Amino acid sequence: MGFEKMNSKVLKVPVGPGREVLARRGAMLGYTGDVRFSPVRSGGGSIGGSLGSQLSGESAAMMVAQGSGEVFYGFQGLTYAVVDLSGAEMLTVESNRLLVHDANLNSAIVPLTAQQSGGGFRAGLRSAATGAMTGQGMFTSQLSGVGSVAVLAHGEVLELSVRADKPVIVDPQAFVAARGQVQVSLGANVSFKEARSGEMFQLTATGQGTVYVQASERKF
Amino acid sequence: MSTQPLSPMTLPVDDNINPYSFCIDLHGEWFMQKGKMIAYYGQMRFESLAATSLSAMVAVRFSSPLYSRDWIVAAGQGKLILGDRGYDLNAYDLDNGNLTIRAANLSAFQPSLSLKQSIVPGFVTLIGSGKFVASSNGPVMFVEPPLRVDPDALVGWADCPSPSHHYDANWMSGFLQAAQGFFGRNSGEERQFDFTGTGTVLMQSSEAAVHDPSVLRNIESQVPLLGQPDLRTLHTRIGQQLQQSQQ
Amino acid sequence: MVAQLRTNGHRVVEAHLNGDSVKALTGSMVAYEGKVQFKKASFGGGEGVMKTLKRKATGESLDLMECVGQGVVYLAQMGSYIELIALAGDKLSVESSALLAYESTLSTNVTFAGMHGMSAGQGLTTTSVSGHGAVAILSDGPAICLEVSPQYPVTVDPQAYLGSSGQLQQGFVTGVNWKSLIGEGSGEPFSLQFSGTGRVWIQPAER
Repeated sequence: MGFEKMNSKVLKVPVGPGREVLARRGAMLGYTGDVRFSPVRSGGGSIGGSLGSQLSGESAAMMVAQGSGEVFYGFQGLTYAVVDLSGAEMLTVESNRLLVHDANLNSAIVPLTAQQSGGGFRAGLRSAATGAMTGQGMFTSQLSGVGSVAVLAHGEVLELSVRADKPVIVDPQAFVAARGQVQVSLGANVSFKEARSGEMFQLTATGQGTVYVQASERKF
Repeated sequence: MSTQPLSPMTLPVDDNINPYSFCIDLHGEWFMQKGKMIAYYGQMRFESLAATSLSAMVAVRFSSPLYSRDWIVAAGQGKLILGDRGYDLNAYDLDNGNLTIRAANLSAFQPSLSLKQSIVPGFVTLIGSGKFVASSNGPVMFVEPPLRVDPDALVGWADCPSPSHHYDANWMSGFLQAAQGFFGRNSGEERQFDFTGTGTVLMQSSEAAVHDPSVLRNIESQVPLLGQPDLRTLHTRIGQQLQQSQQ
Repeated sequence: MVAQLRTNGHRVVEAHLNGDSVKALTGSMVAYEGKVQFKKASFGGGEGVMKTLKRKATGESLDLMECVGQGVVYLAQMGSYIELIALAGDKLSVESSALLAYESTLSTNVTFAGMHGMSAGQGLTTTSVSGHGAVAILSDGPAICLEVSPQYPVTVDPQAYLGSSGQLQQGFVTGVNWKSLIGEGSGEPFSLQFSGTGRVWIQPAER
């Protein structure tokens, strides 16, 4: 709602009273008008204290933009995809892939070590070390409500629909986000014979919704 | 399916082939940064500015000793295709105007333009009438002042006054209050270039600046001037920056 | 029905498998649907040419895998553009590190064109692909196809060279001393010149 695409790497976002946005620190390229930027803890305080700061590289610091004007957002020349949430569905995305989103969206951060069941990112893993091996970030954000979210990707973003009779298998390093009633589980890659070490894991998306996949196996 | 083949007859004349490549219809000379040629048809020679037989023309048009070693003259007849590390390339016409542009973002220009070194470090000024080709990390956006821009996203500006630094006072106090512990980390939210007046600002689509080898040369040339205490301070500063950039 | 390669946007190619296979760079699968197996395969040319082909810029090994089964495999590589070229009984020479995938009806061979004064690394390794079918090659930016004819030969930066087809003679133009050797892009000390009749593909970037 209101996010304007300037080109594949830059978004122009209007900011106004009651229409604040949260964005990744360092993503502000320029702005017009009277806009103030302040740092916030990601996830509304659910990750705080020493854990949050130790892992600040993963759970990227966010900035709130307030005031009245327009802000140009882009991050390191990466491309983005905009998802407009209508209130009925949840978007699951690695926290450090968030470029910018409406501040009024509900956002919860789930560390990989504390998995919820039923929807969201159910990885079935027991240790954060696996997160490092698969290239997956250690924090996942779950966003819901009515508003827009821009997520970062390297290369183009493919939108693949997931249906009950048609699951999609995704390379963990190419996984960008999932939307809807989608369960994403991490498992061993049984379809690769004599695979190289990089291909040991795969993500299987089942249920009903959409997965967003980037055209690159590089997790930026 | 596959791309249609191009020939000297069908290549664009002084225009983009696609967002990342540009074709110069050469009949005479063009100034070009080294390393930007990806292919050509025809007869041309490429000479570094110091060694060229066109030194008289060079002396008049290119007055920037700091950058001259990065530039060559392409002379001859044919179609010259430019590409720059996969960056976006765009050509612009300057009509009796002046444009200040980051030196690393300028790829080529016609010798009807004069190039001067700007007092703003890292930038050069083009004056006159003619075409130039600029490269950028992501497409260039044209925005009119008043505007504040992340210095790394700035490509250049035309007609309006040189920018001033702007330090966001709110951000600074917010930062101290939140005690985030970001040591010396400069992101666009903290300091920006402030543009006012009438003109156009060119912004690129990324805060990852195009690599400029002259910045290092500039700093290296000043190192012998530093005494021991300053050298140690610089050493620490470099260490911090390296650590920051690895996060 | 034979396995088919189709583009999906600029940076993804889909391999539609119907009980048969395509060959692709290991690691290029970003997603798939259906029942597909991925097996190790090898570049043609035998062990004598070069035991392990490497990607020029990074020195990583290039391996091929065979994707076989029933379904759709989505292939991509580092956000690169993908150029799909259809062969109808002719031969395409491709810079080996630019080859992404090809239909299994095609045959391949790898040749090493020598160092030609290039910096330590791989020299020029070319994969030739011939027969009937489609080949997907990687390009840093949209690929540009240039015609070559006896009236207009073309000179190309080797770091931008992707591939060529037709009746071409390839020569080396040395003594190109204007390439910057500092900072970004340590250029190679020569250019490739193509004469004859055919086509050359280049990318708008240096490798």
